[in-house]
Amino acid sequence: MHIVVCAKQILDPETPASAFRIEGDRVVPAPGIAPVLSQFDAIAAEAALRVKEARPVGDRITVLSLGESGAAAIKQVLAMGADEGVLLQDAAFEDGDSHGTALALAAAIRKLGDVDLVVCGRQAADWDQGQVGLLIAESLDWPIVTVAQSVEAISDADLRVRRVLDDGFETVEVGLPAVVTVSNELGAPRYPRLPQLMAAAKKSVAAWSAADLGLATGDVGAAGARLRLARLARPTHESQVEMLTGTAEEQAAALVARLRADGVL
Amino acid sequence: MNDRPTAAPRPPRVLGAWWGAAVGVSGLGLVSAFEASARGATREVFFNVEAPWSVYACLAALLGLLTYGLVRHAALWRLGRPAPEVWRDLPSRLRNALRLGLGQQRLGRDRYAGVMHACISSSIVVLTLVTIQVAIEADTPFHPLHGAYYLFFSFYGDLFGLVGLVGVSMAVWRRYFIEQPPRVRWDERIEDHLIIAGLGLVLLTGFLLESARIEVTELSQHPDWAPWSFVGYALARFVRVFAFEPHQLLAFHGAIWWVHLALAFSWLGLIVFTKLDHLLFAPVNAFLLRTDSPGRLALIDFENRPDDEAPFGVGHIQDFTWKQLFELDACVRCGRCTSVCPANIAGQPLSPMAIIQDLKSHLASTGPAIAEHRHEVGGIGRDAVNVQMVGGVIEDESLWACRTCGACMQECPVLIEHVPTIVDMRRFLVMDEARIPATAQAALENLESRGHPWRGTTLERTTWMQGLEDVPMFDGTQEYLYWVGCAGSLVERNLPVTRAVFRLLRESGASFGVLGQEETCSGDPARRLGNEYLYQALAQQLVATFAAKGVQRVITNCPHCFNTFKNEYPQFEGRFEVLHHTEFLERALRDGSLRAVHAVEEAVTYHDSCYLGRMNGQYEAPRAIIEMVPGANLVEMQRNLSRGLCCGAGGGNMWLEERGGQRVNHVRSAEAIATGASQVISNCPFCIQMFEDGTTAVQAAGAERMRPFDVAELLERSVFGAPVAE
Ligand code: SF4
Ligand code: SF4
Repeated sequence: MHIVVCAKQILDPETPASAFRIEGDRVVPAPGIAPVLSQFDAIAAEAALRVKEARPVGDRITVLSLGESGAAAIKQVLAMGADEGVLLQDAAFEDGDSHGTALALAAAIRKLGDVDLVVCGRQAADWDQGQVGLLIAESLDWPIVTVAQSVEAISDADLRVRRVLDDGFETVEVGLPAVVTVSNELGAPRYPRLPQLMAAAKKSVAAWSAADLGLATGDVGAAGARLRLARLARPTHESQVEMLTGTAEEQAAALVARLRADGVL
Repeated sequence: MNDRPTAAPRPPRVLGAWWGAAVGVSGLGLVSAFEASARGATREVFFNVEAPWSVYACLAALLGLLTYGLVRHAALWRLGRPAPEVWRDLPSRLRNALRLGLGQQRLGRDRYAGVMHACISSSIVVLTLVTIQVAIEADTPFHPLHGAYYLFFSFYGDLFGLVGLVGVSMAVWRRYFIEQPPRVRWDERIEDHLIIAGLGLVLLTGFLLESARIEVTELSQHPDWAPWSFVGYALARFVRVFAFEPHQLLAFHGAIWWVHLALAFSWLGLIVFTKLDHLLFAPVNAFLLRTDSPGRLALIDFENRPDDEAPFGVGHIQDFTWKQLFELDACVRCGRCTSVCPANIAGQPLSPMAIIQDLKSHLASTGPAIAEHRHEVGGIGRDAVNVQMVGGVIEDESLWACRTCGACMQECPVLIEHVPTIVDMRRFLVMDEARIPATAQAALENLESRGHPWRGTTLERTTWMQGLEDVPMFDGTQEYLYWVGCAGSLVERNLPVTRAVFRLLRESGASFGVLGQEETCSGDPARRLGNEYLYQALAQQLVATFAAKGVQRVITNCPHCFNTFKNEYPQFEGRFEVLHHTEFLERALRDGSLRAVHAVEEAVTYHDSCYLGRMNGQYEAPRAIIEMVPGANLVEMQRNLSRGLCCGAGGGNMWLEERGGQRVNHVRSAEAIATGASQVISNCPFCIQMFEDGTTAVQAAGAERMRPFDVAELLERSVFGAPVAE
């Protein structure tokens, strides 16, 4: 079985909002804040590794990432135990939206040829759009199972996936090839073993351009974007304090009245 | 995996044979002695003894046995990796061997045991010398034992015999009558009784023998000599009461001679089979003791690895250095280490003594098989034995519970170094196996991606500067770099400490600057958690930053940064003068550049952080500051100075969940509260956080909460009157 993991390097979501500046339609982080692998993608890698480890040896995991900063994401997934990495790198990909990204990834998956399963995070932890996995499936015309809590290959051609629902779980089976997006309920991604980390650092990663993938420049990147940015703003948090006076009973009554008025009660 | 041996396997057959032989010899001796006495034979030194050569036969047997034992041990030690550092710095090592080994300095930390052990060991040494002199007198052309010296010789021989008996009585008293301290019972074995009883009997029979000789010879021939052997003399007068016939006395003397001989050599033979081997191993281990700071861990050379398969940490017994294997054999199961271990005191699953003993039995039981297979093709015997060491013999939980506080090492009378051994196994867990508790993993990942261990902090490295004017950035022109550290800038509670140190530095007129956003973690948490690779990356980065900025002198907020900069960065050629803020502030108070003018009327207690105190020996500066604050009244805790108890956060435990028992910070907070002080003063951002939590949890309902403060916060109140408003 050949499994593909899609991984994205993002601005550190734990950076306090105050450390970002907004310049035009771009977010500029404070210097010294390093990008990190999107947590959901690390979980996708974990899911792929679990599938591989539960099966007889011989499966392969390839990690795909798009954009220059993706190289670090690929290294990290390789360190976790993936076998190969491919970086989709081209000026044409810059400033693309989910659609363009999915198009490029799907083209790469097609180019790899023998892929049985694609695992993505349920969403990237920066913009939280949750589109790319779905659009890859759409583009490949494969079935997709979203928000997985566990993924298990029941045969060479079938997968059993437990999905997270609002009020419980649902187990579905799907024939391969297919796309699965995973959720954090799957569990923490593994910590890389050092020998693997060192080997990953030495592994060479293939780089494919838009032309390698047979994509026209107009389809991807800024040119192919279907999403228009309307406004970009930093969230502001405001708090107001109102002191209630009077005896304890009066204060309690006033508090209830206020909460009712604000529609909290 | 479950059949792990808990007791060191002893070779019962050989032991049995040794004692069998001993009994046999003494039996034979008895028979021949009776015969000889009937014939009334006498001699000078080997008076009344038929076969004095038997002493040499016994000696030869003993030496043979010792050699056999050592060869067997050495075969196991040799399984370990090289330890080239033990040949460096020989003068200090020899000093250690004399002071800590032969001089037994550590034993004095438990006064009763110190006296007891000194009595016993000095008695053994002196009586051995006595015996050698007798041998020289008897069997060489030299005759030292005559005239005044003979009398003196008689006197000190008796004196040290008596001293030995006093020591043995103390041991018996403590072990069997008062059952104190409990540690002697934690891993008690038959050999422990045998050693005490054996030594007592050797000494007693020695005196009986002497008294019989005095009775028969000196009392009649040289009655003026006899009182010099004062114990034997007194006993002889006592024996005389029974009015033995002379031939009975001779027979008694002859018999006792053999019994004494057999007992003495059998007892010495215990060296080969029991913990009595510390007679030889403890002084050697003192020689092997590291001569650099205990706060420094060994560097792994990632560039030049012996082979690609070699593990980074220690997961198999043969991955320890031979020094680490040697010291396992020196352990005497005294339990001192475990009795001071904060994790153990709190009831958590860690006993440093058990770690050493379990490794020792693991080495003894698996070593021979490993030795056999180690030269086979394609392996160094790593898979020769099917017993998992880390995760089996030694449980992960124990390794994680360690605070690397060094209390165990400080206490160990035979100078065993537990912390490097424990960290080596953690290194295996983290780097080779990637088997890490989730919270520690999160801290490591955070260090990797964000350069600090505080996951989810909303603070920035410059947040503490808000409200302070003109915080100078370090640019190489200032004398000192004030190193704030991750805890000092990213953890809310520590910001006031950082501000206090900053204000005091400025008030003192010191020339200093800070790095602000350019600070990254010193790497200490990664190193202590076992990720040496990550540590080295962080440390090298910082060494380069310091070099680029021209840093010569550093003042740190945190004793962990302090220790790492001071003791560990020289491993990367990062050399600069490092001061903990308390050291700087004490100097400033003494030279008058800071003046503690406002009274702070509080009873305070002081908590020694492990990495300023035990690991770096700085107990005085913080106390001196407290004493210079008018009004502050220092009340010491029971466990203080080098015996101070860890707050619970060390060794990466800030990011580990505690398992089993109490929480260490609750235990320590209770100790602080017990002093009756209103504040607990420390010098470490971790300690302060632990006390914030601990005092809240432990304090009796209704009582005013004891508040933890840094020394700098206390001093700030005294110098300025109040902390700066935020
Ligand atoms: S270093 Fe401290 S916590 Fe670790 S074993 Fe020794 S005494 Fe216990
Ligand atoms: S390691 Fe040291 S302190 Fe601990 S039991 Fe052994 S000899 Fe005693």
